[in-house]
Amino acid sequence: MGINKLWHKLDDFLDLSKQKQEKKHNKLLDIITKLEAKKLELEQKVIDESKIDDTSDKYLELSKKLNVVSNLIRKAKKHDIGS
Amino acid sequence: MLKRIITPLLFLLFAWFIVSNNDAKTIIAGIAIFLIGMHFMEDGFKLFSGGTLEIVLERFTSTTPRAIGTGFLATAVVQSSSLVSVIIISFLSAELIGLTQAVGVVFGSNIGTTATAWLVSSFGLKIKIAHYALPMLIFGVMMQFSKHNSYRGLGSVLIGLGFIFLGIAYMKEGFETLKQGLDLAEYAMAGYLGVFVYIFFGAVATVVIQSSSATMAIIITALATGQIDYINALALAIGANIGTTVTAALGALASNKNGKRLAVAHFIFNIITGAVAVILIYQLKDLVDLLAPMLSISDTDDAMKLSLFHTIFNVLGVLIVAPFVKTLVRYLETLFSEKEKARGQAKYLTYEVMEIPATALAAMRKEIIHLYDKSVEAIVHALNLHRTQIYSEIEIDAVIEKSRTPIQINVDKIYQEDIKSLYGEIIRYASISQTHLDQAGNNQMYELKLTARYIIEMVKDVRELQKNLNYYAKSHNTVIVDQYNELRAQLITVLRKIQEVRDYEGDEEEIMTQIEVQKQSSKENEIRMNQAVDSLIRENKIDSNSASSLINDIGFTHSITKKLLKSAVTLWVKEAEIKVLGDEYGYQ
Repeated sequence: MGINKLWHKLDDFLDLSKQKQEKKHNKLLDIITKLEAKKLELEQKVIDESKIDDTSDKYLELSKKLNVVSNLIRKAKKHDIGS
Repeated sequence: MLKRIITPLLFLLFAWFIVSNNDAKTIIAGIAIFLIGMHFMEDGFKLFSGGTLEIVLERFTSTTPRAIGTGFLATAVVQSSSLVSVIIISFLSAELIGLTQAVGVVFGSNIGTTATAWLVSSFGLKIKIAHYALPMLIFGVMMQFSKHNSYRGLGSVLIGLGFIFLGIAYMKEGFETLKQGLDLAEYAMAGYLGVFVYIFFGAVATVVIQSSSATMAIIITALATGQIDYINALALAIGANIGTTVTAALGALASNKNGKRLAVAHFIFNIITGAVAVILIYQLKDLVDLLAPMLSISDTDDAMKLSLFHTIFNVLGVLIVAPFVKTLVRYLETLFSEKEKARGQAKYLTYEVMEIPATALAAMRKEIIHLYDKSVEAIVHALNLHRTQIYSEIEIDAVIEKSRTPIQINVDKIYQEDIKSLYGEIIRYASISQTHLDQAGNNQMYELKLTARYIIEMVKDVRELQKNLNYYAKSHNTVIVDQYNELRAQLITVLRKIQEVRDYEGDEEEIMTQIEVQKQSSKENEIRMNQAVDSLIRENKIDSNSASSLINDIGFTHSITKKLLKSAVTLWVKEAEIKVLGDEYGYQ
C-alpha cells in the first residue's frame, strides 16, 4: 500500500468533514430556534394589532415581517436537511 | 563592479575555510540545519493553526498587558518572533488592531523568543536529542502526504523540530571536538571590556545569521561544552538581543509605515533593555544565582542559568518600557507619515495584508465598504439629496420637500475618476490574493468581488436615473414629479434601513429579517408603481414619453435597491449559515 493511500485511509478514518457538517447543523438548529421564537412573538403582535385595526400600516408591516420570518425558517430547515 | 568580485571571493574563502576545517564545518552545518528547522516550524505553524494564531492575536490584545501576554504566548508556542511580527504588521495595515496593541505584542514577543533558549538548554543538551530528531523527520515527511492542511502543518512542525534538534546535536558535537584542538575559553575576557567585546560579537553573529534564536543556540552549546566563559556568554546574549534589532530594521526597510514604526519600537525596546542589562549585568548574574535553586537549576548548569538570565533581562526590559507605551506610540505616530491617499485609491489593500489569508479577507471587506460609501455618496447626490438628510431623523417626505433643487454633480466623471479606479484595484488585489487562499477563503473572496461589482453597477444605474430625475424635476406636471419623488423616497428608506443594519449590534437573524422585509417591499413597490403607471396612462395624466421613462426608472430603482440589499448581506452579515438564507446566495 502506497503512502498516499495509507494517508487517505487515515484521513477518511478521522474524517474532519463530519465535524464540519455537525458544526453547521448545530448552527442551523440555533438559527431555527431563534427564528421560531421571533415568529411566536410576531404572531402574538399580529393578533394584538388585528384586534385594534387590521388595515393599519403597523398591522401590514408586522404581517410582512411574519411572512419573511416564516420563509427564513423554511429555508433554514431546507439547508439543514441538505447538510 | 567591486561587489561582483568581492562576493564570489568571500564565498570561495568561506568554502575553503569550511572544507579545510572539519570542526568549523560541523558547527556551521549545525547552524544551517537549525535555521532550516526554524523555517519549517514557521511554515508548519502557519498551516497547522489554520488561522487560529491570527484570531488569537486579533482578539486578545485589547489592553497593553493582554497584548504583551498574547505576544509572549504566541511567540513561545510558534518559536518565531518573525512570524508574529509579519501577522502584526499585516493587522496594523488592515487596521484590525492599533499601534498600541501592536507594540504590546512586540514587547511580549521579545520575552516569548527566550523560550528557544530554554528549549535548547533543557531538551537540547540534557537528552540525546539526535535520537528523537530522526523519527520526527520521518513522521514529519510522512505527514506531508496528507490532504489536510492541519496534518501537513503538523508534519512541517515535526520536521522543523527534528532539524532544530539535529542542528543542536551537530553544533554540540562540533564544539566538543573543537575543544580538543582549540580552546576558545582561553580568549575569555574579564571586566566591562570583555562585556562590550562579547556584546559586539553577539550582535555581529546575529546580524550575519539573521536569527537571534540561532545565535542563542550557538552560545548555549558553546557554553555547555566549556568553549566560552559564563560571564562572556551573558554578554553574548545581550549582543544577540541588540543584533536582532538590526535584522528587524533591515526587514522593515521594504515594509510600509507600520512595519517601520514597529521596527523602531523594537529597536528602542532592545536598546533600552540592552543598556539596562549591561549596567546591571553583575547584579542580574547574582539574581540568577539566587533564583536558580528555586527553579531546580543546579549551580553548575550554566546553560540553564543563561536561559534564565535571558528571560529575566527581557522581562525587566518590558517592565521598564511598558509604562511608557502610550508616549512611545505618540512618538511613533509622528514617524513615516504617508501622504493622504488620492481619491480613487485603495485605503486598506497593501501587500503586507495579503500574506495572511484572514487579514486579506478582512482588508478586502473594509475596502469594499470604502467603495460602498463612495458610491452611496455619488448615488445620494445624484438623487439631489445629502447624506446628512438621509441619515437624520427627519421624515422622508420633509427631506424630499426640502431637496427639489438639482445638485450639480457629474456621476459619470465621478465613476470614471474615482470609483472605477478603486474597483480596478479591488479586482487586481482579489486576483493576486486568491492564490494564497484555500477553497473556503476563495468562496468568500468571490462573494466580496461580486459585491464590488454590484456596487459599481448601482452607480451606473443611478447615472441613468439622474438624467430623467433632473429633467422631470422641472416639469409642470405634478403627477410625474410625485412619481419620481416616490422613487427617491424608496431609495431613502432602503439607505436608512441599511444604515440601521450597520449600526445594529444584536443577533444576525434580526439583520437578515430586516433585509428580507426590505427586499419584499421593493418587489411590491415595483409591481405597485408599474400598475400606477398603467392607470396614469389610461387616465391621460402622463404622456407616453414620460411613461416609458418612468417605467425604465422604476426598473433602475428596483435594481439599485436589490444591489444595495445584496451588498448589505455580504458586508454586514457575518454568519455563513445566515447569509445562505437570503435569496441568490447559492454557495456555502
